[in-house]
Amino acid sequence: MKNKINKWINGIAVAGIITLAAASCTSPGGQSNNQAAQPGKDTVYIAGMKFKPAELWINQWDTVVWINNDIVAHDVTEFPDKTWSSDSIQPGQSWEKDFGDSVDYFCSIHPTMHGKIMIRK
Amino acid sequence: MNTLKSIMKWTGAAAVCLLFFSSTAWSQSKLTDPEIASVAVTANQIDVNYGKIAVKKSKSPEIRKFAETMIKDHTDIIKQAVALATKLHVTPKTNATTKSLLEGEKKTTKLLNSKKGKAFDKAYIDNEVAYHKAVINAVQNVLIPDSQNQELKDLLTKVMPLLNSHLQMAENTQAEIQGK
Repeated sequence: MKNKINKWINGIAVAGIITLAAASCTSPGGQSNNQAAQPGKDTVYIAGMKFKPAELWINQWDTVVWINNDIVAHDVTEFPDKTWSSDSIQPGQSWEKDFGDSVDYFCSIHPTMHGKIMIRK
Repeated sequence: MNTLKSIMKWTGAAAVCLLFFSSTAWSQSKLTDPEIASVAVTANQIDVNYGKIAVKKSKSPEIRKFAETMIKDHTDIIKQAVALATKLHVTPKTNATTKSLLEGEKKTTKLLNSKKGKAFDKAYIDNEVAYHKAVINAVQNVLIPDSQNQELKDLLTKVMPLLNSHLQMAENTQAEIQGK
């Protein structure tokens, strides 16, 4: 009988922990904290000396996040006039910017790397 | 045989190649992981050293920018290689390949130090093109196949796109300064 009560109590405790864990992953507004799932936020990964995807379609004024998963630092710079640029993005770090218009960009440290942000009309 | 061919290209020095042929060390073609770690760190350090000479001697913005990137990127790779070697308890072991690389560096450094102005810029960038081609060949055909530890193999594999990008940048810079 004592064992049954203990199992019942343990069951409630586990269920409580799962509920708390699920709640902690959700913001007060009900949106997931997972960046990829947030509306209006798009991700470009930097890996293997490439922007992935190299061409990204977004809604106007969406935020684009660049995450550097490569082994060296990169930057994100408007192409060809360098009208804006991120600072150096170290491996494991990220940088973000909102876009109202389509743009071409490149890595000014490694000019072989190019990408495009395209706005859906 | 692949090892020998790669090292010949790597050094770019005929005299050093002749030494290889006469060296009994090259009868054992396969490198161990500690030897690969030593070769990788040395090869990166050599390009850092060439870059430092270029930053000191060149007035060309294109050459200086390229050299600064080589210093930064290859220093970062050295840090990662040393961190991995430390994690794996691998002590980089000096070997015939390391020594030959250092011999090649001596000759190239002497050549670079003997040049000035545009002649220096040309010698530096020509060497960067040749050096990166040789290193790419060696990493792809010798170091990656010979490495036993998977993490070491993975790091070498991850470096390949960087080396290919450096080669393309060197060729682009070579074309830019030729047009001036």
